[in-house]
Amino acid sequence: MWQDAWRRLRRNRLALVGMAIVTILILTAIISAFWTPYPVWIQSLGPTYQGPTAKHLFGLDDSGRDILSRLMGGAQVSMIVGVGTATLSSIIGIVLGLLAGFYRGWVDAVVSLLINIFYGLPDLLIVLLIVAVTQQRGLQNIILAISLTAWLGMARLVRGQTLSLREREFVEAARSVGTRDVHLLIRHIFPNALGPIIVQATFVIPAAILFEAFLSYLGFGVKPPTPSWGAMASEGYRSLQFAPHIILIPAAALCLTLMAFNFMGDGLRDALDPRMRR
Amino acid sequence: MTRGTLIYIGQRLLLITLTALIVSSIVFIGVHQLPGNAFLSERSPNPLAEQQLVHHYGLDRPWPVQYVSWLTGVLHGDLGESLVNRGVKITPLVLREARVSATLGFWAMVFTITLGMSLGILAAVKQNTLLDYVASFCAVIGYSMPSFVTATFLVLLTVTGFFAWSGGLVYENIGWGKPEQIPVPAISLGLLPSAIIFRLTRASMLEVIRQDYVRTAWAKGLRSRIVIIRHALRNALIPVITILGPITTGVITGSIVIEYIFGIPGLGKEFINSIANRDYNVVIGVFTFYAILVGIANLLVDLVYPILDPRIRSDGHLTQLFRARCHFRRHRHLRSR
Repeated sequence: MWQDAWRRLRRNRLALVGMAIVTILILTAIISAFWTPYPVWIQSLGPTYQGPTAKHLFGLDDSGRDILSRLMGGAQVSMIVGVGTATLSSIIGIVLGLLAGFYRGWVDAVVSLLINIFYGLPDLLIVLLIVAVTQQRGLQNIILAISLTAWLGMARLVRGQTLSLREREFVEAARSVGTRDVHLLIRHIFPNALGPIIVQATFVIPAAILFEAFLSYLGFGVKPPTPSWGAMASEGYRSLQFAPHIILIPAAALCLTLMAFNFMGDGLRDALDPRMRR
Repeated sequence: MTRGTLIYIGQRLLLITLTALIVSSIVFIGVHQLPGNAFLSERSPNPLAEQQLVHHYGLDRPWPVQYVSWLTGVLHGDLGESLVNRGVKITPLVLREARVSATLGFWAMVFTITLGMSLGILAAVKQNTLLDYVASFCAVIGYSMPSFVTATFLVLLTVTGFFAWSGGLVYENIGWGKPEQIPVPAISLGLLPSAIIFRLTRASMLEVIRQDYVRTAWAKGLRSRIVIIRHALRNALIPVITILGPITTGVITGSIVIEYIFGIPGLGKEFINSIANRDYNVVIGVFTFYAILVGIANLLVDLVYPILDPRIRSDGHLTQLFRARCHFRRHRHLRSR
């Protein structure tokens, strides 16, 4: 199955472009942890609002900080939030989805009620509320807040998959030889639902990156001077009329990132589940 | 309207009420467990005055008592009083701001649906032409463009651009209150969802156009406009209608950021401001209102659905609703941009 999927994925040019951009982003994020052209917080490196020059490739921002360095630092924040949220929300969603789909009964009733209540609510409102009310602006808190809304989709998906998989013959066969429930869930049902789970998790990453950007834009993100694309865009908006590069550069980075992840997600969906292909 | 439909609507309204009640209760109780209040941030408070304030809002009572009195108020349509602006009742405030947000959201939806659907139909009918390629390419970009980025480009274009091109004659001021100030925020809000609608309309139109009954319609020699609009479009619209629910939610969510950027005095801006001011009474009120608003918007979409697709009739079972919703589960990740 995996070799098949890889072959289909390789044929999809857009998905490859997406994966290339994502790889560059991850490398940038890792590099920025050890080295950036200038420290991300250092101010007055030159004239404030200076446009791109040879010394500062992307120019300087409103306090004379090097935008390229901050862009690299922002990639790190985005990646941590994206991957962190995808991991955490997948764990919550997979566990609850498996339990609800496998045991049905009251477990399913509770999980489904939770999903149906929160499904209709705008995610951004809940995330804003959690971040603002807890007054914690660390990365862990942001990841936690976004995960608390993002697990719904995963739980829904896994529950549906489990509901149909548990009736299949191979599960019945495994059960008839006395396999325990935990073993059934982990060894037999979970691996067979892995394809859609990976696709769903891939789509959580850009959504989480976007949420973090929104939060920072609104002033509820990571604390300054930690660079974040949303916060950089928000600062740049004030000087839009005379120094548009300050907002355009992080905005372009954000768009490119979201696009890359969307291409990758679409490609993975087509590769892993050809039936879902549109 | 049949009896079944009425029961269905009743059940949905009950679910909305339940959701609003549960969610606002969680928020209320959660918020009241926190240390600190709105008065802490004010300049050098007089201890006596602060005590009077705390007493005025009933914050000195144990929280279960506060909760019961708050709930009684809510059930009578009274969301309480602002903690920061003394004497300001929240219900009329929220209703006034909801009208502003609704105006913005309405025009954004009109823009989204018109642009997305018409381009989607055109691109499908003229598949593999230049128009199709250009529109599809733009959709791919628009699909990954957060609303504040679109807003930035539009502001650059209209405010700075028009000012420069007209030699300083036209200065398009951003803000709210005049009709000419609506398009820029509405388009910023509606561009991303229109890319989603475009892709969906195009895909489902392409699928429908190839079906036998459409070929029959062509073979009968009907004019192309009639075939496209009367035969193909009606069926092609079904998946598009299902995604309108999530898109409405997305537009409502997106309006928070857009209102903040453009300084539009709507619910979203109030939400941000009251969170920043720790005006928890307003936060809870606005949140409750949002929950109801989104619930009703989704209900309206679900009611349009069976009109277009007679196979799905609301027969008064909540399960039916959840089954119908599974159709757009796949598009859920697109919702909150």
